[in-house]
Amino acid sequence: MSSVNLPIKELGEIPLVEPGETFHSITERVAKVTETKAPRGWWIAFGIALSLTVILFSAVGWLFWNGVGVWGNNSPVYWAWDITNFVWWIGIGHAGTLISAVLFLFRQKWRTSINRFAEAMTIFAVICALLFPGIHVGRPWFAYYMFPLPNQMSIWPNFKSPLVWDVFAVSTYFTVSLLFWYVGLIPDLATLRDRSKTKIRQLVYGAFALGWRGSNRQWQHYERAYLILAALSTPLVLSVHSVVSFDFATSVLPGWHTTIFPPYFVAGAVFSGFAMVMSLMLVTRMVYGVRSIVTMQHLELMNKIMLVTGTLVGYAYAMEFFIAWYSGNEYEKFTFINRATGPFAWAYWTMISCNVISPQLFWFKKLRRSIPVMFVISIVINIGMWFERFVIIVTSLHRDFIPSSWGYYHPTLIDMCTYAGTLGLFMTLFLLFIRWVPMIAIAEVKGVLPAADPHAGDDHAKEREHEGDESLAHGADAALVPGE
Amino acid sequence: MKRQPYELANAEDGGAVFWKSLEEKRSSDGLQAMKEAEFPLGVSPDAAPFEGVADLASRPAAGDAASLLSDLSDGELPNGIVAQVSRRGFVKVGAAMTALLGLDGCVRRPVEKIAPYTRSPEYTIPGIPSHYATVVNQRGEALGLLVESHEGRPTKVEGNPDHPASKGAADLLAQASILDLYDPDRSTSPAQGGKAVKYEEFEKAFELLMETTEADAGAKMRVLAAPTNSPTFVRLRDQVRQRFSQARFHTWSAASDSNTREGARLAFGQPMHANYDYARARVIVSLDCDFLQTEPGAVRAMRSFADGRRLREPSDTMSRLYMVESTHSTTGANADHRLRVRARDVERYARLLAKELATAGLELGPVRGALGDASTDGIPDPWVKSVAKEILANRGRALIVVGTRQPARLHALAHALNAALGNVGQVVTYTQVVDVAEQDHASDLRQLALDMDSGKVDTLVILGGNPVYDAPGDVKFGDRLAKVKNTIHLSSRIDETSKACAWHVPLSHPFEAWGDQRSLDGTWSIQQPLIQPLRESKSELELLSLMVGGMMETGDKPRSGYDSVRDTLRQASRATIGFEKQWSTALSRGLLPGSASFAFTPSDVKSADIAAELAKAPAAKGAAGAGQVEVVFAVDSKMVDGRHANNPWLCELPDPMTKIVWDNAAYLSPKTAGELGVASGDVIELSREGASATIAAWVLPGHADGTITVALGWGRTAAGRYGNGRGFDVNRLRSVDALHFTDGVSVKSTGAKYELTQTQDHHSMEGRPVAIDATLDEYKATPNFPQYRTPSPRTLPLWNRRDYSQGHRWGMNVDLSACTGCNACVVACQSENNVATVGKEQVGRGREMLWLRVDRYFIGTDEADPKVAMQPLACVQCEEAPCENVCPVNATAHSPEGLNDMAYNRCIGTRYCANNCPYKVRRFNYLEFQGGEQVGGAPEALYGEMPEVRKLQFNPNVTVRMRGVMEKCTYCVQRIQEGKIASKRSGQPVRDGDITPACAQTCPANAITFGDLNDPTSRVTQAARRDRGYQLLSELGTHPRTTYLGKIRNPNTSPEWTKEKG
Repeated sequence: MSSVNLPIKELGEIPLVEPGETFHSITERVAKVTETKAPRGWWIAFGIALSLTVILFSAVGWLFWNGVGVWGNNSPVYWAWDITNFVWWIGIGHAGTLISAVLFLFRQKWRTSINRFAEAMTIFAVICALLFPGIHVGRPWFAYYMFPLPNQMSIWPNFKSPLVWDVFAVSTYFTVSLLFWYVGLIPDLATLRDRSKTKIRQLVYGAFALGWRGSNRQWQHYERAYLILAALSTPLVLSVHSVVSFDFATSVLPGWHTTIFPPYFVAGAVFSGFAMVMSLMLVTRMVYGVRSIVTMQHLELMNKIMLVTGTLVGYAYAMEFFIAWYSGNEYEKFTFINRATGPFAWAYWTMISCNVISPQLFWFKKLRRSIPVMFVISIVINIGMWFERFVIIVTSLHRDFIPSSWGYYHPTLIDMCTYAGTLGLFMTLFLLFIRWVPMIAIAEVKGVLPAADPHAGDDHAKEREHEGDESLAHGADAALVPGE
Repeated sequence: MKRQPYELANAEDGGAVFWKSLEEKRSSDGLQAMKEAEFPLGVSPDAAPFEGVADLASRPAAGDAASLLSDLSDGELPNGIVAQVSRRGFVKVGAAMTALLGLDGCVRRPVEKIAPYTRSPEYTIPGIPSHYATVVNQRGEALGLLVESHEGRPTKVEGNPDHPASKGAADLLAQASILDLYDPDRSTSPAQGGKAVKYEEFEKAFELLMETTEADAGAKMRVLAAPTNSPTFVRLRDQVRQRFSQARFHTWSAASDSNTREGARLAFGQPMHANYDYARARVIVSLDCDFLQTEPGAVRAMRSFADGRRLREPSDTMSRLYMVESTHSTTGANADHRLRVRARDVERYARLLAKELATAGLELGPVRGALGDASTDGIPDPWVKSVAKEILANRGRALIVVGTRQPARLHALAHALNAALGNVGQVVTYTQVVDVAEQDHASDLRQLALDMDSGKVDTLVILGGNPVYDAPGDVKFGDRLAKVKNTIHLSSRIDETSKACAWHVPLSHPFEAWGDQRSLDGTWSIQQPLIQPLRESKSELELLSLMVGGMMETGDKPRSGYDSVRDTLRQASRATIGFEKQWSTALSRGLLPGSASFAFTPSDVKSADIAAELAKAPAAKGAAGAGQVEVVFAVDSKMVDGRHANNPWLCELPDPMTKIVWDNAAYLSPKTAGELGVASGDVIELSREGASATIAAWVLPGHADGTITVALGWGRTAAGRYGNGRGFDVNRLRSVDALHFTDGVSVKSTGAKYELTQTQDHHSMEGRPVAIDATLDEYKATPNFPQYRTPSPRTLPLWNRRDYSQGHRWGMNVDLSACTGCNACVVACQSENNVATVGKEQVGRGREMLWLRVDRYFIGTDEADPKVAMQPLACVQCEEAPCENVCPVNATAHSPEGLNDMAYNRCIGTRYCANNCPYKVRRFNYLEFQGGEQVGGAPEALYGEMPEVRKLQFNPNVTVRMRGVMEKCTYCVQRIQEGKIASKRSGQPVRDGDITPACAQTCPANAITFGDLNDPTSRVTQAARRDRGYQLLSELGTHPRTTYLGKIRNPNTSPEWTKEKG
């Protein structure tokens, strides 16, 4: 094997793509998924996901017909699974933006193998999340009142309300994420178009590829656009979940009224997002055989991020307790003691075990690199993060200021169906994505291949050090070509 | 068949041409030109069905559509007009059409039919309700009411301010009685053997029966009626007796107050009512007397009790209440000291107390010797010695009252004690009873049952009541009823008794029928109907008139209720001149002026008789057998004896002490529960003398040990759709000899579980400053004690506070010291504001809709004997309302007067406001609770259906909320607006008291004041400024408009008391 086929060694000594991968092999590997018949496993998964989606729509139909009372929400727990699911899904979406935008700006080349995946996940997660604010309201047919639409009564939304901020934050997030994802897809869609053997594929991919020809000028615009969108998305990583956390933090409720919420929510969101990417990635990687592109190196890095964010979240949990004690506020103190020892203690300790304890296993390299371990932990983290939102919402609400109105919360079957249904919707969208869209950013991965490095394999290592990273980035970009 | 083309006839073809005028005929061209000039659009007056339409169309003013059309027309119009349709015009019309279609599609418009008043009824102004004075019988007390009527439709009950029994207040039963009127399960027509018949058929059959009965002077006829306070009833009954000299009348009520009556008969030789002035009393010893809730005259007692304890400043004095009782009643919750003993031990305590009083020098005559040697077992020494000392120190102002369930001899003893203490004329007055003939209910009923059994009864007329359901078990009323040939039951519904009777006759609601009643103090009131009977129903008086027969009076027809009442009054007034004036005054004021002169001072207490009676029954001693407990049959605060069982408001009203809804339960103390091995929710079986009843147990802190309280009136089987199968029927455990409480009941756990639903399941305040209380001494030392526990926030608000110093600034104040927790305000609010009931299952999910709730907390570490705090809590109308800034759509916002308003139309139901409400007073319509389409609601759901008749109760000034919107207390904003409109019309400023929310208006204890905080002289401003005032959760900076006055208790602080108590 010539030196040309040696991969770039950027992060330490380990190649970003396993040796042996070439421009051609990567195109083949990724594009083939959309061109061949779907494996039986895909159909089974799709069947299950679609059934769950049908359950979702049935549950929502039932909800619309009868009212929010079909859920277990009550007084004082006016929000329960609905908002828990909303925040959970929004959080999951975060990894996408973080991987695609923040890591892009920080020139973390290893992101290339997973960013497409993560971005798609973001969009689908945000779709699932957006469902909830719409359906959880008592009169969904008037949900449009939340938008600043001119009307004859001259009533505007209440801009003091964090729920209105939420509307703007989440819809902005969704729009920018969608654009970012789509812009990133253009070269790859062009690849698929060029490989198309049927007229329909040609037309459809051709339409979505927006006439991409891979010219230098197009690349230049593309790179610029991508960079701008990345720059736009980056603050969103912080803002969206901060705003979501304002839903709670600006209230007067003990357990919600907490200044630590914005960073704590962002950390939690990244944490859960990475966990979700991990769960999905491991399955896809196995099924579609893209192990050489999504390497153990990637997985390990993600595990490290999970370890960091998990610990951050653990710190936030501890800090909440500390502040509750330190503030001297009786209600606050009670709320946190009640979380750990009250009727919902089981939820609290589930959350602690899943979110704080389980990622600590990643301190051990062996466990960090073990596929079964990371798969289990990623699932556990997702469960834990769901419980985190549940604990914040339900345990704070169920016992607040006036003891006479304390209560408990039980979900109903419709609650469960709605939640399971959004998982189905997510999976349905995701499976369709895998089936029809290149799930790995072909063009970007090519950029980290040795072939993309004009200096690959030569002895200009020293020279490279002098030139710094910038020239390297340029060199890599220049070599990017669509398709073969 | 193919449709034939329709061709216009043409004169040239020789067809028949229709023409209108000679001009037209002669010169069609010229006319056409004229027409075109006038109607350029081709709108021809010929085509218009009405001339006016043509006129309109021709007018240029109506020309927008016209110009559009002219723009539109491109070619030749049929009548030859050539017009151009520009593309612009087409688009204009198209856009307008689309917009119209779009608008139309936006709104669901239900099909509604309206009908105008073609002939307006006199004195009816649509939208302006009228109020009529009437009266209801509340356990023997005639409670004067004002009923609000909207266009002839009674909607809301208020107390009659002129009436001494109510003084403008009403209790929860009176408030809820309006819903009984619209009960969908009331029977619609008489029924014979379960088959509906016309009223005329019944009347004919009944008259025939009466005629045949007349043959033996009614020797085999009996009439069973509820105890009455109606002079007309008594008069008509006497007339019936004239016709049927051998007939007998019996009286029965499951919520019987015969003991009270018999006690007075024993003490004075004749039955009489005792009226107590709690306001003037310094010491009150209540012997099992729940005078604040379930006893007769509770409304009056509540007002007067609260007056005796109303503190304006620390130097004021207040009364002290000692309560000796078995169950934990509302009165017990308001007592300064409570002694928990079994119901049978109350008498033992009374004897000990009387003895102590006699020893200390109270002259009791022969009674003293008959007191016996009661054991002091379980009765702490100070409860005898210290209480006696205090009573003697307050001679003339020390009241001893006895509950109706205690035996007659105890009542007599209390009368003797009150007389000896010089209380009579001071804090106790006596009045005559209306029905002197009334016998002891239980023995009277037993007599009837025995006669029925032995075939002495052929005809039984039951005027109201439901003896098959509520007769004591040993009377076996249902079985024996089958032996009677002719049974006629007058009842509001086909209930348990109606089913067992040959005839059922619908009974009119008090708001549908004429009547009269005398209050406990003698006030004579007319029961004025508000509405024609909704069904073919009759009142007791009308049925009695039917029994009197047509010939007895002047005419052929039986006297109507109206005539009967007037006859009585006319006879009583003996005034032929001026009667009409007297009558109309009585109607409009709700009472006969000067009729309360009934009061009299009884002759001396018949001490010897009392002594003999006391000696006959030596004080009961000792414990019950192993595994046996005492059972107390309590009158239910909501159902009474079951008469209100089908009233969803009452079913869903939380019990004042346990907060249980939709059920009754067997209350027992934690200790007894432990001994019996039962927990709350366990179904236990109570059995006694062959009778048994199962009921769910409920551990009630503060209940006496060794005794179980069960409430009457539940477990109905034929009450109606709401009441059937709710709770547990315990009547069969009762017997004539043990009507109110009994020993020797064995308790067995059935092992089954039953879900009892509460609206409040956390009973501790967790040490939080919620319902703040202090003792009188503490208050005197620190008058502003509550403020120490509710500091104001130190952080500045985020934005400038709004200035409310101009205009009105509505506010409310609740005096926790006055509030007894009776729940009347809760029902009043529900009735005024169209608040939905949601059913047990939904309450279990925490979705009750009550805007106003009364929180009940147990205080103290001893769960066997806690203190109780009651706190009414509705929206406190924060000036800085946390609910408002979180609402994304501005559905809840502040009015310039500082009210936190809800715009239901704007609400989309995010529920964030409720989450952010620290007081948790917002209520969300999770489902369509006010009826409407509902698929798959739980079988128990009540909200899926709303019978049309119930909708008649709705207050037209308050929106009926749909599902998905948030609602909460508005301070009765509709009343505020009414008051302001009235003030605007009259040009006078709103005076303090002109505007009163429903809760404040009905509060018998006057605990709630409402008014304008910008008016320095208003009562609410005075109250809010009082030293013991505080804002709930003040530290949050919400600046609530509703403020509270801390509760003051007045415990005995004498050394011997505190020493014993430790």
